[in-house]
Amino acid sequence: MTFSTGTSAQLGELTQYARELVRTPGTIQPHGVLFVLQEPQLTILQVSQNIFELIGRHPQELLNQSLETVLDAQQLDMLQNCLLKDFEGINSLKISIKNKEQLLSFDGIIHRQDGVLLLELEPNQVQQSSNFFSFYHQTKSSIDQMQKASTLQQMSQIVTEEVRKVTGFDRVMIYRFDAQGAGVVTAEDKEDRLNTLLGLNYPAFDIPMEARELLILNSLRFIPDVDQVPTPMVPIDNPMTQRSLDLGKAILRSASSCHLEYLQNMGVKASMTISLVRDRQLWGLIACHHYSSSKPLPYEVRTICEFLGQIMSLELGTKADHEDREYRIKLQSLQPEFVQSLTQADNLLTGLVQSSSNLLQLVSASGIAICWDDEITLIGQTPQLESVQALLTWLEPQISNNIFHTNELPKLYPAAASFQTSASGVLALAISQARKNYVLWFRPEVTQTVRWSGDPQQNSDPKIGEMRLSPRKSFELWQEIVRNTALPWKPCELEAVADLRSVIVGVVLRQADELARINVELERTNNELDAFAYIASHDLKEPLRGIHNYSSFLIEDYADILNEEGVAKLQTLMRLTQRMEDLINSLLHFSRLGRIELLLRNTDLNQIISQVESVVKISQPDTSIAIHIPRPLPAIYCDPVQINELFTNLISNAIKYNDRSEKQIEIGYLTMAELPEQNPISKTSTSVLVLYVKDNGIGIRAKHLDSVFRIFKRLHGQSHYGGGTGVGLTIAKKIVERHGGKIWVESIYGQGSTFYFTLAG
Amino acid sequence: MFSQQAQTLLVIEDSDEDFAAFERVMHKASSFQKIYRCTNGDDALDFLRQTGDYTDIANAPRPGMILLDLNLPGTDGREVLEEIKQDATLKVIPVVVFTTSDNPRDVEGCYQCGANGYVVKPIDLKKLTKTVQVIVDYWFEANTPPSLAGDRNEPNSTDCFNRR
Repeated sequence: MTFSTGTSAQLGELTQYARELVRTPGTIQPHGVLFVLQEPQLTILQVSQNIFELIGRHPQELLNQSLETVLDAQQLDMLQNCLLKDFEGINSLKISIKNKEQLLSFDGIIHRQDGVLLLELEPNQVQQSSNFFSFYHQTKSSIDQMQKASTLQQMSQIVTEEVRKVTGFDRVMIYRFDAQGAGVVTAEDKEDRLNTLLGLNYPAFDIPMEARELLILNSLRFIPDVDQVPTPMVPIDNPMTQRSLDLGKAILRSASSCHLEYLQNMGVKASMTISLVRDRQLWGLIACHHYSSSKPLPYEVRTICEFLGQIMSLELGTKADHEDREYRIKLQSLQPEFVQSLTQADNLLTGLVQSSSNLLQLVSASGIAICWDDEITLIGQTPQLESVQALLTWLEPQISNNIFHTNELPKLYPAAASFQTSASGVLALAISQARKNYVLWFRPEVTQTVRWSGDPQQNSDPKIGEMRLSPRKSFELWQEIVRNTALPWKPCELEAVADLRSVIVGVVLRQADELARINVELERTNNELDAFAYIASHDLKEPLRGIHNYSSFLIEDYADILNEEGVAKLQTLMRLTQRMEDLINSLLHFSRLGRIELLLRNTDLNQIISQVESVVKISQPDTSIAIHIPRPLPAIYCDPVQINELFTNLISNAIKYNDRSEKQIEIGYLTMAELPEQNPISKTSTSVLVLYVKDNGIGIRAKHLDSVFRIFKRLHGQSHYGGGTGVGLTIAKKIVERHGGKIWVESIYGQGSTFYFTLAG
Repeated sequence: MFSQQAQTLLVIEDSDEDFAAFERVMHKASSFQKIYRCTNGDDALDFLRQTGDYTDIANAPRPGMILLDLNLPGTDGREVLEEIKQDATLKVIPVVVFTTSDNPRDVEGCYQCGANGYVVKPIDLKKLTKTVQVIVDYWFEANTPPSLAGDRNEPNSTDCFNRR
């Protein structure tokens, strides 16, 4: 049979063929004898050809005879008894057969397969009869040591030493498979003269799939002599089925020539492997090599090794869990710190940024990107901002269950090649995909040096048939430098990240509650402010009115008693109450201004100015007022009532604080380009226009420029410039700010002032 | 031409000083008004319904008009207004709110409740005199108040104008 071309159909055929070939070689290893028997008479259907060498009988003389011809009645009874029970627990049977005058002793192992009974006999060189107590004695101390080992590594080392002590193999190794099936030697005990294989890697195809299946089926595989020529079954096929018998469970099954050649190429003369199984998956092997000679090994000794292998398999879970647990406890200890710092921070983003060192520790990452509402914060070793943005766009659809992770980003996302040194590994956690809130952790590229036993690429090339059937000849050390890869994310790290999400979501929910509470509080304070305004308007004014009225009563009722001075003092009292009322009214007005809703509409400022102008001129008919508008004012989106008040206040001030006979007022606007260098609005401001009201009044001293907008702040005495409450500019400022603008003043003392303002709304 | 009843004024006002000032200017404005005063809302409602301390009808005639302060101890002026305007018998009595508050919300609310006028108390005695004069002139001279004889309007009638 040749395999010249490779298609998937042929690959399927090949696998089937290879499986059959491995399980049904039609031959056995020549150090034992195999009988294929038909129940209940135990008629010999097949027997291995080497029977003559071992017990001096020819196959032809035994076929179709009962097993009686080989075993005496007592042994036959024992065998028949075993067949009634679960014979797994009884193997092996002590069987002795007379060859001429010599009594040969064998270990007999039986199992059923495809409706026939298989009896394997192995010569038992060790004369001592083993019993339970010797077995117990031999295994107990080994098991004790294994259980005391605190790490997987320690246990692996103990197992290699114990197995070697029991068997005397030249080398015993623990060989562990990775997720891709490649193996690495993690522990070793050996003859001093041998080179170490510790840390060496073996490509996955060294042990084909079908061989792995058999390793799970049959946990111990023993090849005592690699150079022995397999002995065929007579007849070659099972006469019941006319097919080659499945020897999958047979201890004596001959190794494939391919496997033997593989071992020979390594210089191995005898081999034994014990499977280590965790969660029904082949976790690894205890691999024993003998180089100096063939290596017969009694069934009992092998059983001890198999038992140690089973104990190790059981311990794998606990030891690995134990190692995980310590790391996990460390990770869990970080959680309360997160809760604390996230809760105490003003907002979640700040909290996350502040706990960045914990975030890095949480998954042993070297960089983080916190993506929060379209804002990205980078901490530690990360790609550039633009790269992170692009990566995020690619990443978003990949996230499932809020998590995405890879340690080979450049393989999945070629653009990552440009930043693989900082981020070959990425772990993304979605806090909220809708709001685009993510935390990304980055791990740098680890230029891992893997010491392969032979070049793993070498055989993977062309011909499928050869790949399967020709063993590797090169076992020279070959180093591969693995690039574009970060250390893998551990399951417990992914769990920690998922837990972190719960923590963050919890904090978010708590903050939402808090926000709702603050809103209620705010509403309450607003209502209180309303109540305050009412108290100011009513309760404070009432006694004030009483003082005022009773002063009037005094003047009226006691006019004949009061002298001029008394009357003047009462009038002062009344004037003060009047002023107090003005102040209260201003305060009220100011307070209402902040809470009243703006009614924004497109408003022609020219119209507003002409309204204000006519009102001002009517109220001061004796004053000469000239309002100049150098170029027509624009229309602006604003609340016309408030803007009217704004201009009224500014224009009134311009007239009020003016000594000149003609009060000149200029109202205009400047574009951003026309603004003087020094101005309080940045060039990026969205406001296009700066309006101004300029007068030829008394001006303001530079030191007072900041305080003119302060409530109740007056620069002049009560009797000067018509008095007033000092609230006009405060109200002007409030109106401008409610429109999202800014107001400021420039002035030359004695020459005039200019009030500038923007109305962003 | 005015019945005795129609010339009766009920002032609901808790502040003695304000009431004193009011009485004083009222006295100057018109000499023939009979002024009754209640100092809180509950008292006023008893007066109007002739219950509690006011079962003797002679001491509690139906007023021709009510001047109502809003800020009252106990039952608030706004509640008093609502009670009056929901009472089929009392709702015809003109109620003029006379208060310190110039809060637009109060003004709006009072008219919503059916107030017949809203006057903000001035702080200046001269202004007060003028204001009271205007109130008296309008409500007791220019205005024709409804008759409160009692038979012509059936209580609980939903037809405000009693069309037959």
